[in-house]
Parts: sequence; C-alpha cells; structure tokens
Amino acid sequence: MEKEGLSQAEEVIRVENLTKDYGRGRGVFDISFSVRKGETFGFVGTNGSGKTTTIRNIMGFIKPQKGKAFVFGKDAWENSCEIKKDVSYIPGEIAFPELRDGTTFLKNQAELLGLENMDYANYLIKKLQLDPSANLKRMSKGMKQKTAIVAALMSNKELLILDEPTTGLDPLMRETFIELIFEQKAKGKTILMSSQMFDELERTCDRVALIYNGRIVDIADINELKNSTLKAFKIEFNNKNDYLKFKKLTYKIVRDQRQYNQVTIEIDDSKINRLFKTLLNYDVKFIAEIKFNLENHFKNVLKKQLEGGK
Amino acid sequence: MFFSKALFKQSMKANWVKWLSVTLATCVMLAIVIIVLGSLSINNIRDSLKNVFAQADQESVLKENAIDSYDAYLSSVEFENGVVQLTNMWEISLGEGQPTIKTAIVGTYEQNKALYINENGVQPEGEALNEIQWASANQVSEQLLGVAGAMLGNVTQEDLSQLMYILISTYQYDAEGFNSSGAVLYSSINNQYFNYVYNVAYQQSIAVEGQTDKEAEQVALEAQALAKKGVSAYTNSGLNPFTFNIDSFKADAQTYINDMIYLNVYSRFQITDDSTDEQKQEAEQYAFASKVISNTALSTYELWLEQGATVEQAKINATGSISDQIDDEKVVEALQELGNMDIYGLIIGSIFYRIAGLLLPMVYVIMVANGLLAGQVDSGSMAYVLSTPTKRRTVSTTQMLYLLVSLLAMFALVTAVSVVSIWIVGGNSFAINFGEILLFNLGAFLTMFAFAGFCFMCSAIFNRTKYSLSIGGGISIFMLVCTILGLFGSNVVPSAMRIEQMNFFNYLSLISLFDTTKILAGGLNFLIGFGVLAVVGVITFVIGTFVFDRKDLPL
Repeated sequence: MEKEGLSQAEEVIRVENLTKDYGRGRGVFDISFSVRKGETFGFVGTNGSGKTTTIRNIMGFIKPQKGKAFVFGKDAWENSCEIKKDVSYIPGEIAFPELRDGTTFLKNQAELLGLENMDYANYLIKKLQLDPSANLKRMSKGMKQKTAIVAALMSNKELLILDEPTTGLDPLMRETFIELIFEQKAKGKTILMSSQMFDELERTCDRVALIYNGRIVDIADINELKNSTLKAFKIEFNNKNDYLKFKKLTYKIVRDQRQYNQVTIEIDDSKINRLFKTLLNYDVKFIAEIKFNLENHFKNVLKKQLEGGK
Repeated sequence: MFFSKALFKQSMKANWVKWLSVTLATCVMLAIVIIVLGSLSINNIRDSLKNVFAQADQESVLKENAIDSYDAYLSSVEFENGVVQLTNMWEISLGEGQPTIKTAIVGTYEQNKALYINENGVQPEGEALNEIQWASANQVSEQLLGVAGAMLGNVTQEDLSQLMYILISTYQYDAEGFNSSGAVLYSSINNQYFNYVYNVAYQQSIAVEGQTDKEAEQVALEAQALAKKGVSAYTNSGLNPFTFNIDSFKADAQTYINDMIYLNVYSRFQITDDSTDEQKQEAEQYAFASKVISNTALSTYELWLEQGATVEQAKINATGSISDQIDDEKVVEALQELGNMDIYGLIIGSIFYRIAGLLLPMVYVIMVANGLLAGQVDSGSMAYVLSTPTKRRTVSTTQMLYLLVSLLAMFALVTAVSVVSIWIVGGNSFAINFGEILLFNLGAFLTMFAFAGFCFMCSAIFNRTKYSLSIGGGISIFMLVCTILGLFGSNVVPSAMRIEQMNFFNYLSLISLFDTTKILAGGLNFLIGFGVLAVVGVITFVIGTFVFDRKDLPL
C-alpha cells in the first residue's frame, strides 16, 4: 500500500502485468512499466508487436484480461472518461469523422473538449504550416497527421499519448514535430509516444521500451546510453595471422567475422590509447567506430535474447 | 446528462444529405401515388365487375319472377279446369255402393273432425283445423284417384289434394252453398281458392324473403290477381274440360306476363301522360329489355320441361345467372373478390406504406445506424470523440437520439405530405381518410423505429462495418423482401393471384406487425402489432447501449 501511494504521487502511468491475448501469439503479455510525471517515455517495436494494444489499454478502450493500467492513479478501464480530462491522444490510425473540412473538425473537437480559446490551436496550425480549410477526405497523409496533432495538442493537457505521431510527415515536418515535443517537455508534460523510428525517440525520450512479440524486452535509459563510456570498434586485418593473433588478446569481442578477418570489440574510453598502441604492431585494413545508439543497443539486446532462447 | 451537443451536431453534419435525399424521395413518391390514384378512376374495372354480378342477380330475379308467374297462371287455369271437371262429376258415385264425391268430401272431413273432438274435447281451431282439412283432402283425393283417375286425365295427387283442400275450406266456410249444386258452389269455391292463393303467397313472402307486412300484402295481392286472371282466362275460353289442353294457354300466360312487366316498369319509372317523351322512351327500353329477358327465361324453361327435366331443375336451368353458369366455385369467388377488392388500400397501404415507402427510410436507417457507431469504430474516427471526456454512454445515447430524431422528422414530413395529398384529392371522401393515413404513417414510423433499434444494436455490437452492415442491414432487407414475397400470399391480393404458401414469408418479417388491412377494417386490433414494434425498438436500443458501454474498442 505504501508503495502504491508513493507511486501514485509521481507516476502518471503505471501498467501492472497487463495481458490481452488475441490468440495465435498476438496481443500483449504480462507488460509492466511506469511513466513518471514530466517524463517522456517511448515505445518501439515492429508492426504487430503490441505497442497500440498497450496504448489502447491505457486509454481505456479495451479491457485487460489480466493486470491493470493506471492513469493518474485511476484504473484506466473503469475511469476511462474521467482520465480523459487530462489526456490528449493521437490515434495510430488517422480517420476523421465525416465532416467537411479541417476547420469544422477542429471546431467540433474543441466543442467536445469544452475548449473555448483557440489561440494555442492557431499557434500549432501556424507552426505545422497546416491549411485547415482543406477537405478532410482529400487531405494527404501528412496533412491528416498534422490535423491530428493539432487536435490532440491544442487542449494543452497534462498527459500526451501519441501513437506513431510522425507517420506520413516529411523530414522537415518531423523536425518541427520534435521541436513541438521539446516545447511540451519544457512545459512539464508527461508524454507516452510510440514510434518505429529509433532516432526520434532517442532525441526526445527519457526512456524507451522495446516491445517484441507482445512483451517488453528492455527499457533503455537514453541518458545512460548517451553518457556511456563504452565504445565499440570494428577492426579488419589484412592477413589472417594478425587476425588470429589479435583474437588471442584480452579485448572483449562482441562480433567475430572469420571470412573477412574482422572483429568487433567493446572497449571503455579509458582503454582506447592502449588499443591504438597495440594495433601499431598489426596490419590493419581499417578501423571504424560503431555508434552506440538506441538502435544498436536494442539490436544487441534482441540478439542476446534470441541466443538465450536457443 | 447522457447527451453531447457537439456529437449530435457532428452526426447531423455527417448525415443531413442522406436524410434530405431519402425524405424528399419518399415524400415525392407518396404524393405521386396518392394524387395519381385520386385522379384516376382505378376502381372502374372493379365497379364493372361488381355491376356484372349485380346485373346477373337482377336478371336472375326477373327470370325467376317470370317463371313463377307463368307457373301460377297456368296452375290457376288447371285448377279451374279441375273445379269444372269435379263439379260436373259432383253426383257421381265413387264406385258401386260408394258415396258420391261430394258426400265423400263432407263425410271424411266430418269424421276426422269428430275424431279430433272425441280425443281433445274441444272444437279444432287454427293449425289443428288446417291439419284436419289437409288430412281429409289427402284421403279423398287418394280415393278419387283410385276410382276416377282415368277420367281426370294426368292430374297429380298433389294437385288433387290441393283442390280437395279448397273444397273442404269451401264446405267449412259455406256448408249450405256446398250442399246446393252448380253455380252457387262454383263461385264459393273460386273465392276460397283466391283466399288460398293470397294466404300462401303472403306466408311465403314473409317467411322466405323477410319482407314487411305491407310488402307481403302487395305480393299476395299480385298473386291473387294472377290467379283471377288465369281463372277468367279459362272461363272465357269455353273449352270442354275433358278435352282441355294446357298448351293453348301458354301463349296467353306469356302475353299476360309481358303486360305485367310493362305495367310494373311504367309504375316504377312513374310514367304518366305528363311524362316527357324521353322518360317514356327510357321506361320503354327498360321494359323491353326486361321482356326479352323474361321471354328468354320462359322459352328456356319450356324447353327444359320438354326435355324431361323436373320443374325445379328446369327452373334452375332457366334462371341461372353468371355465377350459376361458372361451375367452379373458386372461380366465382375469385371474380367476386376481385369485384370487392380495395385497390386504394392495397396500393397505398400494403404496397406503399409497407414496402415501397419503407425501402428508402430503411436504407437510410441501415447506413446511418452503421455510420453512427460501427463505422466510426471501424475507421477509427471514434477515437476523436472518446479521447475527449465523453462517456461511451453519452456517445451511444446521443447517436441513438440523432437516429430517432432524424427518423421522426422524416416521418413528420412524410405525414404532412400524405395529409396534404389526400386533402388535394378530396379529403375524407377519398377511399382512404385522414384517420387511416395518420395511422399508416404512425405504423410505418414504428416499423422503422424497430428496424432502427435493430440496426443500432448491430452497430453497437460489431466493431467492423462489414459485420454490422451484413447482419443489421442484411436482416432488415431480408425482412422487406419477405414482405414483398408474402404479399402474394396475403389476403390483400385477390385469390386469383394469391399463392397461399407464400404467406409463410409474412411470418419471417417484422413488417407483418404493421397490418394496414387491420387499420382499414376499423377497430383497434392493429394496436397489438404497433405495441410489439415499439417494444422491439426499445429493447434493441437498450441492448445496443449496454453492449457499447462494456466492449473493447480498437481505437
């Protein structure tokens, strides 16, 4: 009980052992995580991995079979309507009601939200270079996405739940969107965002969860990742002897490609000088630093997972 | 509480084009149907068919009257012949050691009467007396036939008994005259005969045709006049009673009947010397036609008698109307039903309000009910409503309200158009009055209310448009089609076109609960169906609302 009280104070979203089984391995299984107030939490995973199912549970659109999702300490299914007072949502599938144009839609949406002041909406429209007077049905994918972003952000709510919000946006607009996210972060908003793009999550999120086959495989702390002193280098040797000799040394080899005389090693920043000194005695074809980013991190995690599975 | 103005407005904006086109199309269709029906005389065929049967009946009556009169005339001639024969044989003994006819009549009657007094201790009166008279008449005529049958020619026992009955009545009425002979008795008998004819005709008229006293009196008087005419025709002919041949009176009878027809027609048309030529001509034509019909009947009657048919059979054959000539009773029924069919009720009630007029509103209900929930869940646009602080219950009740209000507005307009159209074609004098058309509209609305509830329920249950449409819309359209097929097995279609087995389809359709024939028949029977439709609508709406509250939404 003590723990729960504590979490309610600082955790905006808490998901506990959430299970929704759609059969044939589809759905989400035993998912647990929490998002703290002011935190930006990312979801990454392939299509059908369970990102949207998790979000639907948090939105209270579907009823979990096991476990619970809490938003602001309230059961998301039972208090579905109440929590919406502080939640904005961009659905993963963009389909608008049968209304004439964007302006009508946004006005209607404002009415549903009880929003009277449209200043912020107009700011967003300008920032995203959206022409809301366009016919809703004839809008391009990107325009629809922009309209959906405006509809969600204009009410200035505490928690933003964004399901693949950058789909269909061109690279420039994606930058603008990321700027918008930074603005929201600066305002102290809590954000839950799913995406298939590692780089935008890496730039905006504090933590990112990897969902694979309906389970959370790993939750990465972006700050830890960025500040990591560990580096990875790929080294290829011109002859097999050097390659074999190098392998006998104590460096931590994470990948070994015999046919190319290639090894990938992991090494702490403090030991870099020692490495270069060692390599002076070898016939090195090339050496390249492998960025230690989110994508690679998750790739490694998945690889380990799969190897462990075998 | 459970109403969102913004959502209601959104539904209005999304569906007003559908609403307007369906409402206008239905109104225009209805106005055309009523106005066209009102200005064309589509009941002409029906009326002429009705006329055929009415005329046939009239003709039949005319023929029957002619033959009856003909028979009455001839039988009074025969009767008179019998009287003359008998009075001539008055004093002849009924055989060796037997009494004369006269004493036999008096003796038998007195004997029977004495027996009655002996048994009952009172004088016979009324019915009892009549019975004694008939019993005596039968006994004597039997005796007489045994002895003098050859002399009397081919007279039947029945005719003879009737004669004896008259003679007994005469004796009872005027014993003195009866005992004297010749002319005194003769006129006394005739008087009794005319009384007898009057009484029989009066009794028959009262009993069989259910006429009033006055009418029966008229009929009896006519019969009496006919008998007098026959009797005097016989007397005037001066024929030898023993070489008498009835055939020589047949032409007289026909002439007399023709004269009677002319007289009747002229008095019915109220023709006097002051009447215009036109009026006289009209009466003349009518009388002539009647004469031809009567004479045809008489000739046919004679022909059948010559062929050896019995009197009854010959009469039936000669007077047969169209309905007698068609052997198959079903065909007659079918034709008569066709004559009685209510084409306005069929087209406006059974075809427009239950089928044609329901089609477009049904399409509207299917499309809109689906679009209000399932369509938006399927496309995902419902997410925009449910991501705002709007309860699911608010969404479902608001959408339900929109569906009902739009349907109500649609039928309010349809009702207005129907009332105005009926007013244009003649108001309450039109085959369908204002009350009936209002009930038609109410029934159609309740039917659509039930379908709206059902389609709404399907829309609330299914997350996929394809299921919502195929179950909700599919079953609705299926029921409408069943009503179309069932029409051919229902009573509104004349039996000539009806296929009873197709009535089965009516059991598969909710629309059967909206029974326009019950409304047209008057009474309140239709209310049960109306009630069931309303209940179906309410229950399905409630189920839909509750299901939508608790189901998973893929948004």
